[in-house]
Amino acid sequence: MENPAKNCKVWAVAGGKGGTGKSFITSSAGTCLALKGSKTILLDADLGGANLHSFFGLNRPRYSLSDFFDKKIPLQDIIVHSGIANLGLITGSIGSLDSEGINFAQKQKLFRHIRALDAEHILIDLGGGTHINTLDTFLLADKMIVVTVPEVTALENMYHFIKSVYFRKMKFIFKTYNLSATIQDTWKNRASCNVRNLKELIAHLRESSDHIREIFDREMSGFVVHIVLNQVRTTKDILVGENLKSVCMNFLGLPVAYSGYCRQDEAVHDNINSKEPFLIFNRTSPVVKEIKTLTENIIAGTHLSMRKDLANGSLPEIL
Amino acid sequence: MEAYLKYYDLLELPPEATIEEIHRNYAGLKALYSVNSMEIRALNMDYSEELHQDYLFRLDDAYEQLKLLLENKRPIVATKAAAVDDGLKEWINGINCFTGGALRNIRERMGVDLKDIFAVSRIQPQYLEDIENEHFSSFRAEVYLRSYLVEYTRFLSLDTQRVLSDYLPRYRIAKECQFLPSRQSRFLV
Repeated sequence: MENPAKNCKVWAVAGGKGGTGKSFITSSAGTCLALKGSKTILLDADLGGANLHSFFGLNRPRYSLSDFFDKKIPLQDIIVHSGIANLGLITGSIGSLDSEGINFAQKQKLFRHIRALDAEHILIDLGGGTHINTLDTFLLADKMIVVTVPEVTALENMYHFIKSVYFRKMKFIFKTYNLSATIQDTWKNRASCNVRNLKELIAHLRESSDHIREIFDREMSGFVVHIVLNQVRTTKDILVGENLKSVCMNFLGLPVAYSGYCRQDEAVHDNINSKEPFLIFNRTSPVVKEIKTLTENIIAGTHLSMRKDLANGSLPEIL
Repeated sequence: MEAYLKYYDLLELPPEATIEEIHRNYAGLKALYSVNSMEIRALNMDYSEELHQDYLFRLDDAYEQLKLLLENKRPIVATKAAAVDDGLKEWINGINCFTGGALRNIRERMGVDLKDIFAVSRIQPQYLEDIENEHFSSFRAEVYLRSYLVEYTRFLSLDTQRVLSDYLPRYRIAKECQFLPSRQSRFLV
């Protein structure tokens, strides 16, 4: 997107809600890519709640992002080895009690350096919430991934997150066409334009002129958020992802892809608590295969192919 | 064919989908949107009963149209309404209120069949008939009736605005009366 000359893919994992398993998915997908032989770097950008290193049994990583920001050490030099071949790790600041975040200039600098890293895949683990830093880092990515769990509160936050991301992107694009005022005025005076939500705002803007419609068609057509459903407990939960695809399109007007799911597994839970990378220590869990499937779907940009018997509602107990 | 692509989109299928896939997706979507599921409950502000009904209406319509298309296996050829001669034009201009009956008279004098309108507009003949019979309970909301009327009048090359301003008030009055106890029943009590 920003730097087409280099063939590295940046993935951003976010989710709006905390505790849905963003770090778990990031570390597992990263391990999966590394085991396949791709040079992969994980970056823990969960400022204030960094814990990606724990998934690899690292208690005191030698370097962290604060070295990059404060001591100006190049990003390439603060990569910590994860213990797995081909997999590097840039840990977040864990010692700092003062998590005031980073400013705009620092953010710009970090973005530039992320793109310059020598790797095939760079996976960024973002924190929960819809902070502007999180949204901007998310939009920087080639693969935008949202992790959620089949729970109403998590879905609420996920919808909100996707809408915020889309709105932010829309604002960026309108700015480059000198149309910032249009979008801001329409949203401010939304009552008079009969606009109640994002979907109607998009429809209203699209209808307002051919020029704007062209901008939408050109700039927004590639915008797809990949959904990963974590901690799935029943077969019915698997279908939640399919339903989200439909609901997001029909009620939010935004396209999403359902990349895959991970079931709730006590064995995985134990691995995490003993700080072992589960993909290395646990080869028998069905989650291993599920991680592989979702990673492949994200790379290819494809949807999870549903088993026919699941999709037609006969619901055999496969979990 | 463009209208059909919209129907396939609604059923979340590619245009090469089979009739079985259409049946299956329709059943699946209908099930998802008929219950108050978690995915919908989480929508909050982005959900309203009106949007929901509108979606279900469009989904039903898409399903019916695709079913018809695939069962008949024949492309529907667009036929244009008969040319309006001057005598007929004058007669139409003389009509002072476009009621359902008036619309039927015009259509019959033009020699247009409801199926012809259906072939182009894809509005079920049953709804077209309901328009002509002023059978207002078939239309849950004015928006549906309005869009049907626009198609209907366009096909017959009538003055759409004139027809709408005559016809829609009749619908509104009928709808209002529905919610009030009718005068007759009050007398009976």
